[in-house]
Amino acid sequence: MADLTTKFASLTLKNPVTTASGTFGYGLEYANFYDLQKLGAVIVKGIKSTPSDGNKMPRVCEVAGGMINAIGLQGPGVDAFLHGDHYLPALKKTGATVIVNMWGTSVGEYADVAARFDAENDGIAALEVNISCPNVKAGGAAFGTDVKLAGEVISAVRRAVKKLPVIVKLSPNVTDITEFARVAEAEGADAISLINTLSAMAIDIEKRRPRIANVTGGLSGACVKPVAVRMVYQCHKAVKLPILGMGGITCGADAVEFLLAGATAVSVGTANFVDPYAPLKVIDFLNDYLDRHHFKSVSEIVGALEL
Amino acid sequence: MAQAIIQENSILHGDYRKIVFAVPEMANTAKAGQFVHVRIDERLDHMLRRPFSIHDTDPAKGTLTVVYKIVGAGTHILAEKTPGECCDLLGPLGTTFTPCADDVVPVAVAGGYGSAATFLLTRECKQKVVLLIGARTQSELVLDDAYRACGCDVRVATDDGSCGVKGRVTALIAPLLAENPGKKFFFYGCGPLPMLLALAKTLRELGLDGELSMDEIMCCGVGACFGCVVKVNDPASPQKWHYERSCVDGPVFPLEKIYLEH
Repeated sequence: MADLTTKFASLTLKNPVTTASGTFGYGLEYANFYDLQKLGAVIVKGIKSTPSDGNKMPRVCEVAGGMINAIGLQGPGVDAFLHGDHYLPALKKTGATVIVNMWGTSVGEYADVAARFDAENDGIAALEVNISCPNVKAGGAAFGTDVKLAGEVISAVRRAVKKLPVIVKLSPNVTDITEFARVAEAEGADAISLINTLSAMAIDIEKRRPRIANVTGGLSGACVKPVAVRMVYQCHKAVKLPILGMGGITCGADAVEFLLAGATAVSVGTANFVDPYAPLKVIDFLNDYLDRHHFKSVSEIVGALEL
Repeated sequence: MAQAIIQENSILHGDYRKIVFAVPEMANTAKAGQFVHVRIDERLDHMLRRPFSIHDTDPAKGTLTVVYKIVGAGTHILAEKTPGECCDLLGPLGTTFTPCADDVVPVAVAGGYGSAATFLLTRECKQKVVLLIGARTQSELVLDDAYRACGCDVRVATDDGSCGVKGRVTALIAPLLAENPGKKFFFYGCGPLPMLLALAKTLRELGLDGELSMDEIMCCGVGACFGCVVKVNDPASPQKWHYERSCVDGPVFPLEKIYLEH
């Protein structure tokens, strides 16, 4: 059996398979299905300084090969997440490696939230800074689609965080994602994750209305995978930062594509909704794949694409 | 999660279907108000699970029954399935209806095939369930016969007057009370959102209590995605409501939590 241990920035993960933010709640929702310690890491749903309601209903719809969502980052806020019964204190008890996804509506709020998690980091392995949610007007994509603003957020978070590794989650809704990867590298990020969802829209022709209340939302699921693989490949060529690759990973073979394209680790997202055991199936497939191809370690296939 | 073998997938009438799954582990534990989250198709085109209220269970036979209406792509695919095929089920999920005390009359108030979600109360409650069922027209009445077969008092309202009283299902409540002075009632609602909001308003005006099953488009079914939220009363918040997930905080909510201004 090959070694799945994954060095990702300063982290050592049991394996390269994590769960994408927003698709795995706060971890505990899936703790009844399997031991969360089996995962490389659990990445929780995005947290900001204060509680947020999220968007109006309907928030999700199915499209061919995927779905569109505009949840709008509903969440409990940093205090409740750090100390509330149903959040980090309970998640810590599972023994899972926890990466906290966080966001803000201003550069200052990003820095404040990041500093708070850095100061109260017991049970937190890393921060994933979401500058790419397409579904919130202030924050999210406003920062992730403007190179200058992205640089300001990453720089402010970097200065606020002394201990935790900082992973910057990039938006695919830009002309050249490598510009953002380079900014993340220049401003001192420890890693990048990509892709967040693709800006998208679907219409109910009988009602002549958008199928989600926010009109537009983020496309995810199997249909986005080729776009995501391409972007991981481009960023891997552009920067030296480790990449957490995601976007439509439905099975182990999909995950291998991301690793070959240059991702050091991967996240399983929408597939969790279809099959709660999807991340474990990805891990099993990786083991088989590495054995079948006589690799001793998963690190050997990172960026091992032959042209 | 379990692989359930389809034993029956039959036409009730019109677009309404009854599907019986052999799935003993769920048949033994499912309670009124809960749902199963069904993977319709192994292919990726319609990959999201669909939630269905659990209509009935038979623990001795290890079966669980769902009643559904063919409305979209997912239910079309489900309707094509034949006995012997398998479906991947998550469940039983969600909160349950609370069986009422022995001296209280349980009243199910259903809009259309909302009657499926309240049927297990006929097995869980000591007193006979009264079913108040409303629909646009007679052909959209579902499972009223199943309740009658259990000895339930079934009262019908249709918008077009083709069966029972002409009007809304909420109009059946006052006469029921008037006929039974001194009796205690507890109401269980399931149906489309406008009907549930009208029911909640009527129950509050009459000083009655109950529980309502709130239905929303659902994604993960286990509380992870926050796709299926409903507004619930929250006197402490400035806006007087907050969102809760219909999959894990519901689908059954106590009447006092129902926020009327959706």
